[in-house]
Amino acid sequence: MKKKMVSTLLCAAMVAATLAGCGSSGDSAPAADSSTEAPAADAATDSSTETPAAEATGDGLVYWSMWDAAEPQAQALSQSIEAFTAETGIAVDVQFKGRTGIREGLQPALDAGTNIDLFDEDIDRVNTTWGSYLLDLEELAKANDYEATANAGLMAACREVGGGTLKSIPYQPNVFAYFYNMDIFEEAGVTKVPETWDEFLDTCQKIKDAGYTPITNDNAYIASLFGYHMSRLIGEPATEEVVKNGDWDNEAVLKTAQAYEELASKGYFSETIESNQWPAGQNTELAMGTAAMYLNGSWLPNEVKDIAGEDFKWGCFSYPAVEGGTDGTEASNYGAQVFAINAKSTKAEQAFQLITYLTKGEADVLLSEMSVGIPADTSNTEWPALLTNVKPVMDSMQTRYPWAAGAEANADMTPIIIENFTKLCGGSLDAQGFVDALKAAGN
Amino acid sequence: MKKNKTMIVVFLAPAVIMFCIIFLYPIFRTIAMSFFKIEGVTDAVSKWQFSGLANYIKLFNTELFRISMWNIFRIWLFGGILVMGLALLFAAILTSGIRFKSAFRAIIYMPNVVSAVALATMWLQYVFSPKFGLFKSIGELLHWKWLAKFQWLDPSHLFIALLIAYCFGMVGYHMLIFASGIERIGTDYYEAATLDGASRIQQFRYITLPLLKGVTKTNITMWSISSAGFFLWSQLFSMVVSNTQTITPVVYMYQNIFGAGNSMTERNAGIGAAVGVLLSVCVVLIFVVCDKVFKDDDIEF
Repeated sequence: MKKKMVSTLLCAAMVAATLAGCGSSGDSAPAADSSTEAPAADAATDSSTETPAAEATGDGLVYWSMWDAAEPQAQALSQSIEAFTAETGIAVDVQFKGRTGIREGLQPALDAGTNIDLFDEDIDRVNTTWGSYLLDLEELAKANDYEATANAGLMAACREVGGGTLKSIPYQPNVFAYFYNMDIFEEAGVTKVPETWDEFLDTCQKIKDAGYTPITNDNAYIASLFGYHMSRLIGEPATEEVVKNGDWDNEAVLKTAQAYEELASKGYFSETIESNQWPAGQNTELAMGTAAMYLNGSWLPNEVKDIAGEDFKWGCFSYPAVEGGTDGTEASNYGAQVFAINAKSTKAEQAFQLITYLTKGEADVLLSEMSVGIPADTSNTEWPALLTNVKPVMDSMQTRYPWAAGAEANADMTPIIIENFTKLCGGSLDAQGFVDALKAAGN
Repeated sequence: MKKNKTMIVVFLAPAVIMFCIIFLYPIFRTIAMSFFKIEGVTDAVSKWQFSGLANYIKLFNTELFRISMWNIFRIWLFGGILVMGLALLFAAILTSGIRFKSAFRAIIYMPNVVSAVALATMWLQYVFSPKFGLFKSIGELLHWKWLAKFQWLDPSHLFIALLIAYCFGMVGYHMLIFASGIERIGTDYYEAATLDGASRIQQFRYITLPLLKGVTKTNITMWSISSAGFFLWSQLFSMVVSNTQTITPVVYMYQNIFGAGNSMTERNAGIGAAVGVLLSVCVVLIFVVCDKVFKDDDIEF
């Protein structure tokens, strides 16, 4: 009997231990928080924050980054963060999560109360998808006179997507436009970048006559051609409405399709446009010098620099205006990656200090140089040589389009638009066929 | 034997509790989620909005979801026939006593060891390339114009390209399972058959195949499970944005939970959950059919 009791007790102890073990691992995030920084976890519920309790705990900032550790952006940021720590004594735990890592993992981690002070991603995703987790930065920005050397347009864009208030700080600005090979333009006798559709057609013809492929693209970006043309015709909000509501009878859809049918019939697209799976077009055609133009973001020269070589001369122009259209060349998707601070962070001031350090002065120059990106600090007037011709385009921007100018606003339609638009560019579908295919898919 | 109920309860409790937490709870939560509109996958239950069958109705009315179901059916059926056929053929050859057996086996199994990302990049950017691809070069070498000009990656043929690339990697895995099944069959059956004058093909048809019933069932089950969760290859064959030829229900689910491409699109984890429920129903159906077709243990050896 005694033996039985002992064994029962032992078993009960074992079960209790097992359960206790899984209990703590089940919600490991808050547990880890409380063990590493108890005051922080307690204060976490108080979202008015800015309690400078952090110094007392002695541990540093936690930064979840959108970059992969091997990318030049990550390397530049790592170097600058080391310098920041040496200068200020604030330790920073940087975790390079990569695009997918942060996209899948950030929100669950924030919901679980993981200790994250700051993070970064695209301006729209941070402000739209994660908007409710962000700390309002207006006061911190004012207190530190942040905007004295910040790009006013991008700060305005951050406020616009942040619902009228500043919740994120832009860095690594980018702009979406036509990138082209200046040597091919020169050889073809094109002296001025096209600003209207007729000039664009003329440019294409000259390039074709010179023996080059005027336009190439890849499946990943081809929907933008459709979106930009439609948005030039009727403006971005209207384009987005058409895409979201499936209003394919809108005459702008057919007009856009006809414009691209014409390009295709005149042989202005790469012969392999239908087969171009990213990054085949940008790598094997544009960077190798067989194709002249590619509609993409200002990150393109960096992505292909090893293939294109140092002597590749990059030109840039905004998507041309179309006759009778609503928008002109002053409209495009321009934006940035942005830093944001977790509303529950107890070290908001130090996090802002780090953000300021990374987006200004030497750190900004380093990032710009290493990643061939646009500097965020307006006093850093020298842009990387590869992007010299992007500056006038960036400076001319007034209207901000979202990604792909609305063409990818409806996830249920994006692959169908891409499939049929690719066929249209390849010549295996005509304009009416394109419209009919979209209408059929919408039903 | 004297039964001790306390002991049974005490010893079973950890396993049962773990099972409930790790398997049952997520299943019931997913089923429940499929009837709600939920923006973020980890949103608190208080933020869920009940929407009844709306998620399911929307799925059935969405062309892209129907396309994704059709794609996965094609992968399962055509890919299954191709992979099972080749795997069985290679297994039969490898177990027939040929020389360099282990070298061949290692070569056929090799793609399983290489990372899928590397394999997919090789197929996509090299083998199928319309400019300098392997197939294009072979076509030119043999003066087969149709092969040299074939556009593997355009919207009309991308699915075939995906299927070939995926199956290439899967044959080795299923071949090993078949081979181990064949090796389990005693050699005396074959000796007796040889004495009776049966040819190799007859031996395969009347001895090997019937005795491989159980293994075939295992293989089909494994294939069905991996097809239902088809995700990585689909992502790799259409980077950044999904494609009508390669999208599968799991990719569709991902888009609804985490957003699609670079655009800010509407998110609804409830739809993602509904996709999960529908896929589970499909897999259960396949198991039931498999069980009916391949009845277990009617032959013992």
